[in-house]
Amino acid sequence: MSVEDSYEWLDYRTRQRFWDVVEGPMIVHLVLALSVFIVVAPLLWEVLTSLKTNEAVYNLSVIPQDPTLGSYYNVLIEQNYWRAMVNSIIISTTTTVIVLTLAVPAGYAFSRFRFPFDTALFVGVLLSRLFPPIGLIIPYYRIMSSLNLLNTLPGVIIAQVYLWLPLMVYIMRNFFISIPQELDESARVDGCTHLQAFRHVVLPLARPGLAACGILTFLYSWREFLFSLIVTRTLAAQPISVAVYRFVGDVSVAWASLAAACVLAIIPTVLVVLTFQRYIVSGLTAGALKQ
Amino acid sequence: MSDTTQSQDGPDARGEQPDSDTPASHADEEINVRIDDLTKVYDEDDGSGVVAVEDLSIDIRRGEFLVFVGPSGCGKTTTLRTVAGLETPTEGRIWIEGEDVSDLEPRDRGVAMVFQNYALYPHMTVRQNLSFPLRIRNYPGDEITERVEHTAELLEISELLDRKPSALSGGQQQRVALGRAIVREPSVFLMDEPLSNLDAKLRVQMRTELNEIHKRVEKTTIYVTHDQAEAMTLGDRVAVLNQGQLQQLGPPQELYDEPVNRFVAGFIGEPPMNFMPTDIVAADGGYEARSDHFEIELPDDLVAAIDDWDGDPAALTLGIRPEDINDAQLVGDPTTSANTIEAYVRVIEPMGSDKYLTVSPTAEGRHEFTARVSPDSEIHEDEFAELSITRSKMHLFDDETGQNISI
Repeated sequence: MSVEDSYEWLDYRTRQRFWDVVEGPMIVHLVLALSVFIVVAPLLWEVLTSLKTNEAVYNLSVIPQDPTLGSYYNVLIEQNYWRAMVNSIIISTTTTVIVLTLAVPAGYAFSRFRFPFDTALFVGVLLSRLFPPIGLIIPYYRIMSSLNLLNTLPGVIIAQVYLWLPLMVYIMRNFFISIPQELDESARVDGCTHLQAFRHVVLPLARPGLAACGILTFLYSWREFLFSLIVTRTLAAQPISVAVYRFVGDVSVAWASLAAACVLAIIPTVLVVLTFQRYIVSGLTAGALKQ
Repeated sequence: MSDTTQSQDGPDARGEQPDSDTPASHADEEINVRIDDLTKVYDEDDGSGVVAVEDLSIDIRRGEFLVFVGPSGCGKTTTLRTVAGLETPTEGRIWIEGEDVSDLEPRDRGVAMVFQNYALYPHMTVRQNLSFPLRIRNYPGDEITERVEHTAELLEISELLDRKPSALSGGQQQRVALGRAIVREPSVFLMDEPLSNLDAKLRVQMRTELNEIHKRVEKTTIYVTHDQAEAMTLGDRVAVLNQGQLQQLGPPQELYDEPVNRFVAGFIGEPPMNFMPTDIVAADGGYEARSDHFEIELPDDLVAAIDDWDGDPAALTLGIRPEDINDAQLVGDPTTSANTIEAYVRVIEPMGSDKYLTVSPTAEGRHEFTARVSPDSEIHEDEFAELSITRSKMHLFDDETGQNISI
């Protein structure tokens, strides 16, 4: 018996009305509201908690009785958490610059030029990301140790570049493929060298892709935890993602301080996304439409 | 300060070239582009090669409009891209303005190219697109302005100069692409199917304009198309390519009247030439084309051609263009059994100026061929009709080689 047959005891109009309600604005809004709640609730809880004192956390009310920024002061200044923030900013920015500097020309070369072993090289780039990074923790630790880079910013940055470069090469290559090759060719006939064609024609068109790659690299390295944890020991090199653990003690958790630290960790990423969001959208959909 | 004078060897420098063995040194003064024994093989991943162009040699005269035409995959675009410098020839050389440019970058060749999809720079305005080739070559600002405005006027796009390409219609984009090539005053224009993205009406209109522009700028133009009508209307000479090989090179009318082989005969002309299902047999000291349903007596020049030809006449195919098959009722000449056949009319397509008849010798409809008759014809569908054949316009093709033995 088909699905249609089993409906037969309901007439067509009844069924239509049922689906009109299901697809109508009320249900849609309900689903949307639920989704938003699931996403926002923990965030809201965190912000509210950060406005309490460590002692007041155990009060039953969710809303802070007398809101205070004391936790922020305690975390940033007294606990030297600002060092971790500076570290994170240095690590993420440097990583983003290095990754873009390497991924853009590499992606362009993979998209445009045929050379011996080009496919093999490209697969090689991707291969490094095909197994879980945790498998490389021990060799990475040994290498950084013998290079005397343990607990230093360069030690963390190298790890971040290693982690995100292959993905960005891949994204940039696909982005360059979406830019018609006739454009570079036309530029070369018009009088450009390869490099000039790239700079005057291809690069301006690749800007959304470039922005998307930069933002992704920044966000990914901002939140990366595993390698940073292994390589760093003190606030001299620890990024936020690791330093947050300082507020989880052996016997107790300083909930308000932890919440304040987490909110501080989120703010820069929110700012970056808000500033560059239009690039992210156009970067991810570029090439979908014929120029 | 055009491209031509920027290259080291201008046209005047040619006579002074010391190397007297080079083709350019004994080149005709009028030769502008010389394609010399060009072969291009594309390497496949499995190690084999695909021959795109084979042993192609053409001299293109200064100011000439040369059209490469052929079906897709015939090597016409590859040839054009090799002249532009976007592909490296596997063998052979390219000469422009008497200089061997085979090893030069595209920018040093003094050529400008119009691409099939226009390749306008989407992030630049029309003005910036037009001035780009000049800016990149460091022309002085006032000269750039002057040339851009002159070109925009020539192409009637002056009011579009501050728009982005995405805000233009297909026809306007086409003009900008053309303008970007013209503004440089290059030695040679290369055009890769520039009209194929336009709708039918606009294509015909732009075709006429291209003709006019070419007359005004008088620059050597190499034009690639798969459309034989474009080739016929635009070309001073047309080169028909098939499977990487040059079939015939000549003025359009010559290609039409005297196709050297069956491929050219079938490719040039719309509707294409009919190849009749007949046997050529000896009769009464001459020959006739005979099928189960009719005989056509061959005229004296074809008889002589067969006599001069060594092969077996049975290995020949008769070719007749549709317009050489007419309604016998409307032909002034007296109809005789020698030039008249009876055929079953299957479909009539009135084109206004003519009617295309799809006919076959029998009602079953095998061996269909096309006749192009006057609109006054009173022939009806699904009836037998008397058709008169202009015998002086018939061709004979060797089945094995495809050669036209009647020219």
